[in-house]
Amino acid sequence: MARTLGVGGEWRRKSLPWLLLAPTILFVGAMTILPLGYSVATSFREFPLGQAPAFVGLQNYRNLIGDANFLSSLETTLVFTIAATGIEFVLGLGLALLLRQEFSFQGIIRSSLIVPMAIAPIVVGIIWRLLYNADVGLFSYAAQALTGHSVSVLSSTTMALPALILVDVWEWTPFMFLLLLAGIQSLPQEPFEAARVDGASAWNIFRHLTMPMLRPVIVVALLIRALDAFTVFDQVFVLTQGGPGTATEVATLMVYKTAFRFSQFGYAASMAVALLVLVMFFSAAITRAFRTSV
Amino acid sequence: MIRRQFLRNSLGTVAAAAGVHTLSSCGGTKSSGGRGQITLGSYADPALDILKDVLLPEFEKATGTRTEWVEADFSGWLQKALNDGQTKAGAFDIYVMDDLWVPRFAGAGYLANLDELGFQIDPDFVPSALDLGYWPPKNGLRQPGIDARAKSTLYSLPLISDVQLLFYRHDIYSNGAPATWDDVLRMARQKCDPAHRQYGWVTRGVKGNPIVNSFFVMLHDFGGDILGENWKVVFNSPQAVEALEFYLKLLTYAPPGVAEFDSDQEGETLLQGNAFAATMWTGWCRQTDDPARSRVVNKISFDVPPKQVRQVAKLGLFMAGIASSAPNRAGALEFLKWFSSSETQLRFARAGGTPFKMSALKDSEARQRSRWLDATLKALTIGVPSPRTSDWSKVEDILGTELNRALLEKGKAKQHLDAAAAEATAFLKSAGYPVG
Repeated sequence: MARTLGVGGEWRRKSLPWLLLAPTILFVGAMTILPLGYSVATSFREFPLGQAPAFVGLQNYRNLIGDANFLSSLETTLVFTIAATGIEFVLGLGLALLLRQEFSFQGIIRSSLIVPMAIAPIVVGIIWRLLYNADVGLFSYAAQALTGHSVSVLSSTTMALPALILVDVWEWTPFMFLLLLAGIQSLPQEPFEAARVDGASAWNIFRHLTMPMLRPVIVVALLIRALDAFTVFDQVFVLTQGGPGTATEVATLMVYKTAFRFSQFGYAASMAVALLVLVMFFSAAITRAFRTSV
Repeated sequence: MIRRQFLRNSLGTVAAAAGVHTLSSCGGTKSSGGRGQITLGSYADPALDILKDVLLPEFEKATGTRTEWVEADFSGWLQKALNDGQTKAGAFDIYVMDDLWVPRFAGAGYLANLDELGFQIDPDFVPSALDLGYWPPKNGLRQPGIDARAKSTLYSLPLISDVQLLFYRHDIYSNGAPATWDDVLRMARQKCDPAHRQYGWVTRGVKGNPIVNSFFVMLHDFGGDILGENWKVVFNSPQAVEALEFYLKLLTYAPPGVAEFDSDQEGETLLQGNAFAATMWTGWCRQTDDPARSRVVNKISFDVPPKQVRQVAKLGLFMAGIASSAPNRAGALEFLKWFSSSETQLRFARAGGTPFKMSALKDSEARQRSRWLDATLKALTIGVPSPRTSDWSKVEDILGTELNRALLEKGKAKQHLDAAAAEATAFLKSAGYPVG
């Protein structure tokens, strides 16, 4: 026999899903939406010394468009992100393909590959600062032995950014490797066996089977790494402080300096919002590119 | 027990516990005139060790007020202190600050007015050190938005006398400290031996604050300045260009990679015996005679920076101010009064610290222990601070970036100073400065 619900019962039935969702909505609202909304609100204000914050409308955004230093930092960030993520992907995929088979000492080798990822970025910065040191660093020592001249990697406007990319590649290739290895190992074996029986070459198997089937994992791996590289801060802060000149001045460093060194909180917030929009655009572009290609 | 009863009882217990806790907290605050504890927030720096290890326990013993020392790296602490000041969270009673921060913290209302709290100054303070604690500044330009007639008010006190001194190897400079910058260059030319990692000079070349601090003294000694009348940017004057050209000349006798040196690498180069001279902060003095840190124990002497057309030293004192949201304002004031008393300053100096009271800086026992106190006092009397504006950090960043570029290109002094001056002028104009 069908139960009939009264007005109260109907209300309870309709509101139950919302009640169950409420903790999550409240949590997300408090932890994400509220700070984000506050940042956006801050970006429309300025904070003159000793005076109440003033609403300035879109002035901070207008200044941002004409700010050559900010645009230059965006360019540097993009170069860093694309280069670092690209290299990490190629190396990570190569390592995953090499190490997917069972072999002796695979546990030790795989564990040692993960070590860089387990070190705090600030410590990574310090380690590489010593390695790059012009007087006693390993790179300078090698250059001295090979060419007779020491080399100041972090003082060179042409070498400093590649040096930072190398640090990121060293630290985060293991992450790409782990993710792609897990993806490769979870692929079903039947299509590969069928392809081998049909006489497909290794290259053709890789191109027409491995890559398309691995596509969802690749998208996730690239997205995570690209977003992380886009917001790089620690290594740059420790290694170069954005120098020499502005050769390694990435956008996050600029936001940090604008907020905490120059106390221009409104302007820094507008930079942060602009970066957020760019990151969202960047993520959508990567997802779309992989959805339509391969 | 049914579920509803259980819930009601549990809630009642939690509420009662919370109430007891709240009441006990309130009672504690009232009974001790605060919390019976003060929290000092600071950046980490070895110059603060004696204060932390020797003086704070003394203060606790003398007053019964407990102290909590919270520290972070320089940038991290600035961030925390700004957050605390802005949100009035009351996490700290005392902010330890670089003197550069005083305009920002006092101007934004993050610091308590020490005059209003009844702090009395006395003539034993080194005037140049005490002046850094006032806002608006006692002398010089006042930034836009600050009433020209507003009375200078004491918002913070010196904590550690930090000033740039000339550190030189007296086994190399056998005739005593170089009198002029030309003498430094001459000695660097004569004795520099890169093959054996012996360099005539070492400095901080990293963009921003480090390179500006290392160029600051030379700029002034050659007759230049940062800002002129009505905030006009003058660090591209002919004297400034001459100073930068000289600075670049001197850097040909510095270690490779000096463009990436901050004060830690500068200090290490000197302490490892690889450089003959440098202008460094007094905070490094104690380490030169520490065998665990230095390979040139008792080979380094200290003096005021050399002269050219004039002679100045760069002030960079550690300051302490009471947070306007301090939970234990009375305890914080008590600490500042106690620490800045001439008696405590004397004990601080005799324990190896660098005080800010004349009597302590002149004390013979303290000078015997800390042989840099004589040079420190002299440097304090000719000391020049960074421009007193909350926007200095931005100007410093602009100048520091171009100085770093000049250093990398080993030339084009005028071109880089002009570029920095144009950018700094545009910034100051946009921030409402008259830029006369």
